[in-house]
Amino acid sequence: MADTALKATNITKFFHDPVDMPVLKGISIEVKKGEFISIVGKSGCGKSTLLYVLSTMDTDYEGKLEINGELATGKTLNSLAALRNASIGFVFQFHYLLPDFTCLKNVMIPALKLGKYSYKEVEERAWEKLKMFGVEEQAKKRANKLSGGQQQRVAIARALINDPAIIMCDEPTGNLDSKNTNIVFDLFQKLSKEFNQTIITVTHDEDFAKRSDRIIEMADGEIRSHGH
Amino acid sequence: MKISVNTEIALTYLSTRKKQTLVASLGVMFGISMFIFMQSLMKGTNDYFEKMSFTNTPHIRLYSENKVADAHMLNSFLNDPSVKILTNPKQLKQTEGLTNPYGLIQQILKNKEVAAVTPQVTASVLYTSGSVQLTGNVAGVNIVEEDKMFDVQGNMVAGDFRDLNRVNSSILIGKGIADKLSLHVGDNITVTSASGNPTILRVIGIFATTIKQVDETKSYANISQAQNLLGKDRSYVTDIKINLRDYNNAPQVARELETITGYKAEDWVKANEQLKAAFKIRAIILNSVIGVLLLVAGFGIYNILNMTIYEKIKEIAILKAQGFSGPAVTSIFLQQAIYIGLMGGVVGVIVGFLITYGVSRVYIGAGTLKYLPMSFYTPHYIEAICFGVLTTIAAGFFPARKASRVDPVSIIRG
Repeated sequence: MADTALKATNITKFFHDPVDMPVLKGISIEVKKGEFISIVGKSGCGKSTLLYVLSTMDTDYEGKLEINGELATGKTLNSLAALRNASIGFVFQFHYLLPDFTCLKNVMIPALKLGKYSYKEVEERAWEKLKMFGVEEQAKKRANKLSGGQQQRVAIARALINDPAIIMCDEPTGNLDSKNTNIVFDLFQKLSKEFNQTIITVTHDEDFAKRSDRIIEMADGEIRSHGH
Repeated sequence: MKISVNTEIALTYLSTRKKQTLVASLGVMFGISMFIFMQSLMKGTNDYFEKMSFTNTPHIRLYSENKVADAHMLNSFLNDPSVKILTNPKQLKQTEGLTNPYGLIQQILKNKEVAAVTPQVTASVLYTSGSVQLTGNVAGVNIVEEDKMFDVQGNMVAGDFRDLNRVNSSILIGKGIADKLSLHVGDNITVTSASGNPTILRVIGIFATTIKQVDETKSYANISQAQNLLGKDRSYVTDIKINLRDYNNAPQVARELETITGYKAEDWVKANEQLKAAFKIRAIILNSVIGVLLLVAGFGIYNILNMTIYEKIKEIAILKAQGFSGPAVTSIFLQQAIYIGLMGGVVGVIVGFLITYGVSRVYIGAGTLKYLPMSFYTPHYIEAICFGVLTTIAAGFFPARKASRVDPVSIIRG
């Protein structure tokens, strides 16, 4: 299926501490390319846990996960790292830029790691992305000198630098005021509509969720509604 | 040159934390410079004492030694199946001196390791001047060859040692003898050996080594003069002194010569066992001090990297989320350790050289030792850098491994 970006089959996960407790109970989901999906649910329903399983960072689960048609389950940690580098972009609630580096460097690092383009090309691409999000004036500043909204925009630019198949966001607007939330949402929408970018976000923000293509509702480790 | 992302990140971390980087490098620097200084001092001292010991000991001395009696002859004489054992065996007196010494010398010269060979007649004597007597020994030598092997010239305080060959009935005495018997160049001295007649010899020179005991007993005479003193003929030689191209081979060559000649060959290592013991003790002291220094420097690096990792644990998690594998993270932190080690190492080598040079200029003036003997030996510097880098790698390894094992999910989710 060429138009499937991510497919998870029967994902089950337990927390082992303090007692074995199921957090995800046989979850299956399929995300098409270019879809903008919000996963919503109450705190503790397992939506973040699901996101980290889908992101390949959490490997302690049962079931099957395919990203871009490639089976991710059972791969070594190092090849998963390479897979994330090439195919997944991350945006977190707390921007999480590297404070010692300039914004430009922060955006460049994943691309330099990928090693697909020369240093010069990477630098140009990073400039482009920053310009797209209107933070090119901050490019040469250290990341910790920027405001929260600016940092989040730089983080989104960073997530996009390797043209990933999927962008995964954990509460991308959780830490932003309404003005910045709008800016970030518009960016996501633009990415999804104009660049056919697949986006999966976990969010508490109902307004934000309503404006996405599809809402997946979760409760008690199960999917209540696929939003179809 | 294109540098990798890992290197770039490592360098950025180092340069944004200049103070800590500096402190860690200083630790390495002290370790390395002390390493060089102590090594130079030890090698310098060892070389000095080795050189000193060669001013009166040849690399190998060949002489005839009395043997302990064994039952070999008795067994072959009785020719019965029983084996006889000698209780309380005594030393058997061998022929004095070496048989056919000049033939032996020709044989010894065939060995490729041998650089110089000279025969010697040693005689125990009584020195008499006026009514005062001193015991001592005369070395009957070819003084020109002796000078080549032991640098007689360097020890001369009065007279010319070559006069030993030019003047009949002449003797070169140690400074201690000269002082005790109030002798000057040109004075006469009576020398008596156990087996010969008293002979009056003329003092043609006075020498002083750094060893008091030698200066108070030893004198040089022409080899024929010494033979006369003992009442022996021209073929009488008690020792053959051998110098090698490389004195470190002495024990092995000594064994070869023993089998060829059948006489006892004593190498300088055996003759100077106390010297070797001193070398060993010095090496132990020095190596423990260096070990402690490097250990402390290593702990400094370990601590600083560990702190860095705690501070940057979120960034490590982010890097891992973005596709940096465990080995890549290890590389980032190990590289930091290596750069700290290299920086400290390079500066440490320079500082170590300067300290060594400075100390070698310090006047101490003990005996003939004017300045502290320091050696400037290139391998020390290479060793120092290697040790420094190895220490930092070892110190950096554990924090780096810890960083590589950071679980991004637990850190990012908080």
